[in-house]
Amino acid sequence: MVPPSADKPLLDDLQTLLGDRARAEDFELGLYGKDGSVLEGRPAIVCLPINSEEVRCIVNICGDHKRPFIARGSGTGLSGGAVPVGDPVVIATAKMNRIIEVDLDNRIAWVEPGVLNLDLSTQLKGLGFHFAPDPSSQQVCSIGGNVANNSGGPHCLAYGVTSAHVAAIEVVLPDGSITVLGDLTAEPSGYDLRGLFIGSEGTMGVATKIAVRLTQNPPEVRTLLLDFSDVRDGAAAVSAIIAQGLIPAALEMMDHRAIEVVEAFVNAGYPTEADAVLLVELDGLAGGVENGVEVVRRVAEAHHVGEVRLAADEAERALLWKGRKNAFGAVARIKPDYYLHDTVVPRGKLVEVLEKVYRIADAHNLIAINVFHAGDGNLHPILAYDSREPGVLERVHAAGRAIITASIEAGGVLSGEHGIGLEKRDYMGMLFTEHDMATQDLVREAFDPEGLANPLKILPSGSRCSDSFGQHVPEGAWV
Amino acid sequence: MKKVAVKLGIDSEDLASCVSCGLCLPHCPTYRVTQEESASPRGRIALMRQAESTGLIDQTFVDFMDACIQCRGCETACPAGVPFGSMMETTREALTQQTSYQSWWRRWGYRVLGCPNILTIGSRALAVLQRLKLLPSKLALPKIPLMQAPLVPSGEDVWLFTGCVMDVWMRDTHRATQRVIEAAGAGVRFPDKKAACCGALHVHAGLGEEARRLARRTMSAFPGDAPILVDSAGCGAQMKEYGHLLNTSDAHKFSQRVLDVHEWLVNHLDELPAAHANPPRIAIQDPCHLRHVQQAHDPVRVVLARYADPVILDDEGLCCGAGGAYSALYPDTAAAVRERKIESINRAQVHEVASANPGCLLHLQAGGVRVRHPLEIVDDLMRKDI
Amino acid sequence: MNPQHFIEEPILRFASDVGSVGPVTVVGGQTQWEVGGLPFPGSREVRAPAGIWSHEPEEMTVRCGAGTSIGDLNEKCAQFGQMVPFDLNSEATVGGVLAVGRSGFRRLRYGPIRDLVLQIRHVDHSGQIVTSGGPTVKNVSGYDLCRLLVGSLGKLGCIAEVTLRCLPIPETTLWLRGAGDPFEIYNQLYRPSSVLWNGKQVWVCLEGVKSDVESQAALLDFEEVDSPPNFPTQGRMSLEPKALRGLAGNSTDWIAEIGVGVVHCGESQTPAPLSNTNKVLMNELERRLDPSGRLNPGRQLVAT
Repeated sequence: MVPPSADKPLLDDLQTLLGDRARAEDFELGLYGKDGSVLEGRPAIVCLPINSEEVRCIVNICGDHKRPFIARGSGTGLSGGAVPVGDPVVIATAKMNRIIEVDLDNRIAWVEPGVLNLDLSTQLKGLGFHFAPDPSSQQVCSIGGNVANNSGGPHCLAYGVTSAHVAAIEVVLPDGSITVLGDLTAEPSGYDLRGLFIGSEGTMGVATKIAVRLTQNPPEVRTLLLDFSDVRDGAAAVSAIIAQGLIPAALEMMDHRAIEVVEAFVNAGYPTEADAVLLVELDGLAGGVENGVEVVRRVAEAHHVGEVRLAADEAERALLWKGRKNAFGAVARIKPDYYLHDTVVPRGKLVEVLEKVYRIADAHNLIAINVFHAGDGNLHPILAYDSREPGVLERVHAAGRAIITASIEAGGVLSGEHGIGLEKRDYMGMLFTEHDMATQDLVREAFDPEGLANPLKILPSGSRCSDSFGQHVPEGAWV
Repeated sequence: MKKVAVKLGIDSEDLASCVSCGLCLPHCPTYRVTQEESASPRGRIALMRQAESTGLIDQTFVDFMDACIQCRGCETACPAGVPFGSMMETTREALTQQTSYQSWWRRWGYRVLGCPNILTIGSRALAVLQRLKLLPSKLALPKIPLMQAPLVPSGEDVWLFTGCVMDVWMRDTHRATQRVIEAAGAGVRFPDKKAACCGALHVHAGLGEEARRLARRTMSAFPGDAPILVDSAGCGAQMKEYGHLLNTSDAHKFSQRVLDVHEWLVNHLDELPAAHANPPRIAIQDPCHLRHVQQAHDPVRVVLARYADPVILDDEGLCCGAGGAYSALYPDTAAAVRERKIESINRAQVHEVASANPGCLLHLQAGGVRVRHPLEIVDDLMRKDI
Repeated sequence: MNPQHFIEEPILRFASDVGSVGPVTVVGGQTQWEVGGLPFPGSREVRAPAGIWSHEPEEMTVRCGAGTSIGDLNEKCAQFGQMVPFDLNSEATVGGVLAVGRSGFRRLRYGPIRDLVLQIRHVDHSGQIVTSGGPTVKNVSGYDLCRLLVGSLGKLGCIAEVTLRCLPIPETTLWLRGAGDPFEIYNQLYRPSSVLWNGKQVWVCLEGVKSDVESQAALLDFEEVDSPPNFPTQGRMSLEPKALRGLAGNSTDWIAEIGVGVVHCGESQTPAPLSNTNKVLMNELERRLDPSGRLNPGRQLVAT
C-alpha cells in the first residue's frame, strides 16, 4: 500500500533506480521514523542505497520531484536530527558499510558512512591504530552519523571531537552533484568546507565516503574508579584535576542513581552506596600515565575520596567502560522512557548546575540521573519518566527548558555532542541572536538554496528563508 | 497489502521497556548481514508495537517476524533488560493461532520431532539415500548413521537427556559425554522414549500447545531428584524454561534440576584424569542458547581448558546462523551469518572448533569448519593420556 | 537573559570602525601579510582590538580581542603553566594567525590551530557582530562558522574576538637532531610533537614528563639541540604526508613536517587548484556573506 504522501511517480522513479531497495510498505516506513530521542516522524519512502552513485541519483530524483530527503545512519541520534519531517525520502546509509582503504602511510582510512564506529577500531586493532571519537553508542553508531553530529565521546577530552579526526568527505550536494570537501593534505586550498559540513546534521548534503584520521593506540592505559560520598566533592575534584595541568584521556562522572542502574546491568562492582563516582582514564607513555595516576589520587584524596580502584587488567577496564557506555539504556530499568540533555557548562560551574538540575527535577516531580563527560563540563542529565502517565511530557519539557536555561545562564551551551536537530532548534535563540542565526542560515543556503536537505532542523522555524515544507513538527517536539 | 486483525498479547510493560537506543543492532545476526531495520531487534519491537496499537498486520509483518533466528544475543546486549525472546515467542504463538502463519508442512515437520519411531525410520531412509548418493549435496547433511547401538546406563547419579535429532544422528556425542561423566565418578542414566523431544523448536515456531505437551511428557521421563544433564545447549535452554512455559510448581522444580553438562562438570573437574602437556588450540563457538539464554558458556571454557588451550572468538558471541530449523528455512541468510563466524574462526587461527550445540555443529560443519562437541574433544584428549 | 550576549566595548567600537560601506582591510601584526595577495590600495585599514578579556585557568580557556599579539597571549597563559601552541612570530596577532590559518610546527601533536578555536565574534559586511561557536571546551550548537573563518583571510568577516582552548605547558620539551629515515623515526615514536626533515637531517621534538621524553629519546641516536631549525619562509607547500617521500634527493632549501605534510620552502608556491563544484560553493559563500566584496579586497582564496 502506498501511503498518500508518497506520490506514485516518485516511488516509481526510485524503484526504477533501486528495485526493492526503495520501499513504501506501511510497516517498514514506521521503522525509519525515529532516532534515539523521543521524537517521531514518518518518511514518505525509504531508500537503501549501496554506493555513492545511487545516493547521487536518489538526490537527483528528489530534486526533480522537489521532495526533501534526509540521510540516516544507525538511528541512534539523540536530538531528532534523523527524524523525518516534511514527508521526506529517507536515505538509509546502513548498507554502505565498507572500509574502502586503510592508508597507514597517511594514517587515514577511507570508509563508507554506514561503517560502525567500533567496527572500524576493531578492524584496526592489529595495526596499532583506532578512530578516536567514541560516543557511548560507538558499538552501533555509524561514522556517517558521527560526521553529521560532530560526535564526541569520553575520549574526546584529550583527543578532540570528530571534526579533528576527519580529513576529507565525499558529499552528494543537495543539487545532486558530487564533490570532495577537504583532502589528505595539511592545508587544503580555499575555505574549510569540510569543517563546516561536519556537524551540519545532514542539512548540507549526504556524506558518501569519509577519510578518517587514525590515532596511534596508546602504549599504556590506566583506568581508575573513584567514589565519593558527596557528589559535590566529585565535581570539585574534576576541576581540581584539570587545574593541575593534567588532561586525562577521559574523565567521566556518574551519580548515585546512575551507578545503581549501571551496576544492575554489568555487575562490575560499582559502589552502589556512593553518591558519585568518577571514571578516570590516563593513557600514553608509562611515565606520564604513572604521574597522572598519582596526581588523580592526590587530588581525589584532597576531595575526600572513598576508595581509589585501579582496574587490574583489560577485562576489568572493559567492564567498567561497559557500565558507563550502556548507562542511558540501563535507565529503562527505572522508568520506560527518558529524556536526555546535553548541555555544556564551564567545569567550575559543575557543582552549581548539578544542584540546580536536581532541584528542577524535584520541582517537576521527575527523576534526574546524571552520567556525563565531567572533564569537559558536558552534562547529560537524564529525566526518567513513563510516557503512559498523563501530563508527564509537559513536565519533562518544562524541566528540560529549566535545565537548559540554568546551563546557559552559567555560561554554557545547548549541546556538547548530540547536536541541535529538531529537539533543540527552538532553543537556539537562547544562545544566538537573530542576526547570528540569519548568518548561519546564509551559510547553509549556499549549500542548499532549495531547502531540500533535512529540512526544519538546527535553526528555529521561521528563521530559515526556505522553510517551505510546512510547519508540521511531530508530537513531543519542543515548539 | 491485505491487512488482517491480530492481537499479539505481549505484556505492555515489556513492549514499553525498549527505549530504541539501538545497542542491540550490532549483536543481531540478521541485522549484521542485512543492515535493515526490519531485521533488527529494535525494528522488530517497533513492528510489534505498531501491530499492537493498530491491531492489524500484513504479510510484511509476518515475514519480518519469521526472519528472526531467536538467538537472543540482543538480550545480552540490552542494557534495559528487554525480554525479547519471550516477546518474539508470544508474537509467533499469536500468529500461529490467529493466522495461517505456519504452513501444514512446517507443522508436520515439527510434529515428527516428537515421534522417535518415525524419526528413526525417516533418518534410516535418509542414510540409505545418502549412501546411494541420491541426496542433493546442497542439503549439506552430516553422515547419517544407518544403525546405532543403544546407550547403556551405568548408574543412577545423573540423568543424561538424549533428545530427538541429536540422538538419531549424533549418538556418539552422547557416548563421549557419558564417558566424561563417568570419568568424573558418576553413573549415568538415560530417559525412556517419553523424553523424545524437549520442544524448543516448537516454542520458536509459535507452536505453544505442542511445546507444552512435549514439556509435560519430557518431565514425566525423569523421576527422582537426580540432576538432569544436557549436552545440547538448545535443549538445555528450553528445559530450563519449562517453569516459565508451564508455570506449575513441578515444572519450576524440574527446571531447577536441569544443568548443561559442563555446568555439572566444572564441579567435578578434580576427579577427571590429569591434563597433559602441549594442549591443542581449540576455538570455542558459544551456542547462543548457552551464552545468551543459559549464560552457561563459561563452564565450557573451564572444562575444555583442562585439556586444551581454548581460544575465545572475537565476535562477542554473535550467532552462527544455525538457529534450530532456521538454517533449513532461510539457507541464504543462515549462510551469510555463518560467513561472519567463519571469518572470526579464521582470525583465531586454530586447528579445531568446539561447539556445545548439535545445530550449530552441523551448520558449521556444512560450512567446512572442523568442529566437534567439546566433550568429544575432551573425551579424546582425556583418554589419550590414560 | 543570556550573559553570553554581552559584548565588550572595544568589540562594539571595532564593529563601527568596519562599518557597512567601503572596502576595508584588517591589519594585524603583518607577519604573514603577503599570503593570498596584497590588499587593494585605497582600502581603509582597521585594527581589531587587543586585550585579554578573560583567562580561566581552571577552564583552560582564554578570551581575547583578535588584535592581541600571540606573544602577549602566551605570556598571560604561561603564568598558569598554560599555552596556546601557535608557534609563530610573537608579534603576530591572534586574529591574523587565524585568518591566515597556518598551523605551527608542533601541529603533529597539538593538531591544526582551527581545533583550538572555541568561539569567534566577527564583524560582518554590514558592520554587525556575529557570534559563532561557544565559550565551552565542547560545543556543537549551530553551524560551525568558526571553522569557516579560520583560514578565510577575512573575506567572510572580520575576526574581532576569539575564545581559545589552552593546553598545559609540557614538563619537558626536548629538540633532537640526527640522521635517519624520518618516516621510520615517526613510526617508531609515540605522539612526537614534531618531526622535521630537510633531506639530510631529521629534527625531532619530544614533549611530556621527563622520563617519557628520555625513554623516547633513547630510541634515537640523536644529539640534543636548543631549538628547531630556521624555516625557509618564502614558500609553503601542502602535501599528503606520504607524498613527502618524494622530496628525497630534492636539493633546494626546504624543511618538511613529517606526518603533517607541510613543506616550508624557499620559493613561493601556487595553491592546489579547486574543483569546479567546490569553487562554486565557495563563491556562493562569499556572495552571501560579503555581497559587495568590501571585506579585505585583494586577498584571494578562490581563483576566479
